[in-house]
Amino acid sequence: MNLVQQIESEFKLYEHQAQKDDFFEYRKKAFQTFQKNGIPTIKNEEWKYTNLSKISEIGFQTSCISNLDADALVKAGILNKIESNKIVFVNGCLFPELSVWLEDEPSIICTNLAKARKEHAAIFETHFGKYLPQEEGLNAMNSALMSDGAFIYVPAGKRMKYPLMLTNITDANESNILQQPRNLIVIEKSAAATVIENYIAVGDNSSFTNVVNEIFVDENASLEHYKVQRAKGDSYHNNYTQIVQNANTNINQVTLTLDGQWVRNNLHFNMNGENCNSLLYGLYIPDGQQFVDNHSRVDHAKPNCFSDEKYKGILKDKSVAVFNGKIMVHLDAQKTNAYQRNQNILLSNDATVNTKPQLEIFADDVKCTHGATIGQLDEEPMFYLRSRGISENEARKLLLNAFADDIAEKIKIPELVQILEEEIERKL
Amino acid sequence: MSEPEVDIIDQVVSQEYKYGFVTDIEMDTAPKGLNEDIVRFISAKKNEPEWMLEYRLKAFRYWLKMEEPNWQNFNYPKINYQDIIYYAAPKQKIALDSLDQVDPELLKTFEKLGISLLEQKRLTGVAVDAVFDSVSIATTFKEQLKEKGVIFCAISEAVHKHPDLVKKYLSSVVPYTDNYFAALNSAVFSDGSFVYIPKGVRCPMELSTYFRINAENTGQFERTLIIADEGSYVSYLEGCTAPMRDENQLHAAVVELIALEKAEIKYSTVQNWYPGDKEGKGGIYNFVTKRGICEGAYAKISWTQVETGSAITWKYPSCILKGDYSTGEFFSVAVTNNAQVADTGTKMIHIGKHTKSRIVSKGISAGKSHNSYRGLVKVNKKAEHARNYTQCDSMLIGDRSGAHTFPYIEVNNNTATLEHEASTSKIGEDQIFYCSQRGIGLEEAISLIVNGFCKEVLNQLPMEFAVEAQKLLAVSLEGSVG
Repeated sequence: MNLVQQIESEFKLYEHQAQKDDFFEYRKKAFQTFQKNGIPTIKNEEWKYTNLSKISEIGFQTSCISNLDADALVKAGILNKIESNKIVFVNGCLFPELSVWLEDEPSIICTNLAKARKEHAAIFETHFGKYLPQEEGLNAMNSALMSDGAFIYVPAGKRMKYPLMLTNITDANESNILQQPRNLIVIEKSAAATVIENYIAVGDNSSFTNVVNEIFVDENASLEHYKVQRAKGDSYHNNYTQIVQNANTNINQVTLTLDGQWVRNNLHFNMNGENCNSLLYGLYIPDGQQFVDNHSRVDHAKPNCFSDEKYKGILKDKSVAVFNGKIMVHLDAQKTNAYQRNQNILLSNDATVNTKPQLEIFADDVKCTHGATIGQLDEEPMFYLRSRGISENEARKLLLNAFADDIAEKIKIPELVQILEEEIERKL
Repeated sequence: MSEPEVDIIDQVVSQEYKYGFVTDIEMDTAPKGLNEDIVRFISAKKNEPEWMLEYRLKAFRYWLKMEEPNWQNFNYPKINYQDIIYYAAPKQKIALDSLDQVDPELLKTFEKLGISLLEQKRLTGVAVDAVFDSVSIATTFKEQLKEKGVIFCAISEAVHKHPDLVKKYLSSVVPYTDNYFAALNSAVFSDGSFVYIPKGVRCPMELSTYFRINAENTGQFERTLIIADEGSYVSYLEGCTAPMRDENQLHAAVVELIALEKAEIKYSTVQNWYPGDKEGKGGIYNFVTKRGICEGAYAKISWTQVETGSAITWKYPSCILKGDYSTGEFFSVAVTNNAQVADTGTKMIHIGKHTKSRIVSKGISAGKSHNSYRGLVKVNKKAEHARNYTQCDSMLIGDRSGAHTFPYIEVNNNTATLEHEASTSKIGEDQIFYCSQRGIGLEEAISLIVNGFCKEVLNQLPMEFAVEAQKLLAVSLEGSVG
């Protein structure tokens, strides 16, 4: 059964259930969109270099069941080193035993979607499903059959003391797993939060994770958002993060793709007010046959906003990386400053990079630049180091670390930087 | 925006197209519409051999099966291909020995265009192959070129006189299966230029064609084929104008360049087709396929274009760098005003080892116009040590214009080094201030700034063209401030 057929049959099952959940209408509409648009193919310009057809044929199962106990999960890499609030999902379902809550402020909420829908209906209804572009086939697929996810709410003027670690574990020990987590993050006026999304996988079977994040950041608020992809093995991952920001907001977003057989990150910023700052950074280090695709879109809809984007990649073996950055400066979004860079180092002759930095500008008083480079390690610094008695291997490591440092320094959590450095060490 | 600036923009916007006159010459035209009979009609008019007709018919049948592309960044009303006249020739014998025999009315047209054949011949030493609607009128300097062994003639003539060369190279770079408009061109192309530079010859003068669409409801489908044999060099210039008409006219040309070992081709275009009126009514659709191949080692192809006219410019002059150590270059200035659209750029396909390419693109958009750079740099697996440098800068004038960049970079080899840079900004207020402070008027200041912005590209043009291009830029943009 291919993916489309599976989604169709699963939805039918859901539709015939006696007890439907509160999302029925929403799911049904999304399912119709999915039926109409299907799974994107390479004929779709946004998916030109990213082929889903192989994944579609694998055949997955949706299953909450996991025989793993808490200890095993912790071992799998739940990032305990970072002192943080924790919420953990396994195969798309909440795993309450591992939740940690350190905040004293009672008005800050972190729970799962199903509960939020009941207990915080007003906030939930205002934001849920309001920002996501549903026409994208995989988004519609998520909306139709989303499993569960986190609901994070920081009320006006409040500030989270600790980062929130949102861990998603795929347990593919028993079978091929399909999971569709759905997260909603609402940061109200003048509030602040740090969220780390952490993806890991265990087991030898294949898995497909199709995540949707909706993030709303109201006036004068700020958000630090990290996404750490460390799912080993035959794991496929698609992520769509839609961020809507109102005036005077600061967002720092870092995407680290350290593992995963097939990873596609879609990041969409919508600047809905003046004086917004959006910073998007990313690092990817694929090896073997791994495939990484970073798609981003920054919509400068209002004047006086600033965005800075920098994605860096180190490619080994037969890996393939795609970068597609789009900056849209809308009519009347004057005094926009937008920067975009993509830099790649190819370490092997079999690696491939396809990059497409795009600018679409409809206002005249703007400063926008973009750049892309693809190359190898510079010979001169290499020679410098070698002539000082540093072995070739050491020298290469030093230079690559320096290359990656550009992104590492954007991370404001020291433990996370340390984890990143260890991963780089391991990979290179 | 302050008052005087608005006035100036209005002035510019209302500037009339000065090449918009119609020449009253009796035309020999084919009936409207497109079918196999028309293709046969064109072929018969040209007295073409059987293989040429076969080729046209094959292309036509293929075209019927194709769909018009729709991935571009603009919309245009659907073209009714049955409402176009595919062949229009001035009604007179064209086998002329000297310029004196050319219809004086025609010569006057060229004079108005500022390319008087006589004058050109005397003063500039440029050999001109003028294409009026679809047929080559007179070709100057033929004799002098002949001495060197250079063949420069109309392609319809080449089909008869040099069938081997035409057979071998026509369609070898742009096959009729390539795209919708190339297929259409292959089926109905009426004329164009043919150039062959023999081994080791450096063409003694710059070759030039001037295109003009005169008749109503006609499309222009010219075909250019340039072959530079081993170690030769040629510089080719192309310029275009058309009269003002309310309806849109289609121009779907195909240009093929072939550079063999150590040969160099420099191809320059100054395109000034009628851009349509203020509201975007009328104007030329300039949908052109241009591609060159560096067949041998150390070959070089260089495209330079200044695009100021056309309602829509949609073309990507490209280089296939097949020979080792070959070089491809693309220098472009695209200026759009009012409702004009330019979607242009290049493709650099690196196949050979140590191939190099350089792209410099400058876009200037004013009024409500949109200017896009769309380009591909592709490094194949075996293209060791390929090198590319791309720079595309956009300048915006007025807050209703748009500038877009769509670069595609595909690299399959780790020894490749690629750089891409792009920037978008408006005309600097401080630069204008600096000029006005020194008593330089607003209009002049803008002309200075824009010319400075484009200098890198304009420098690539041969002298005569550079002067014309600078004038064109000034005409299209004087006084517009963002």
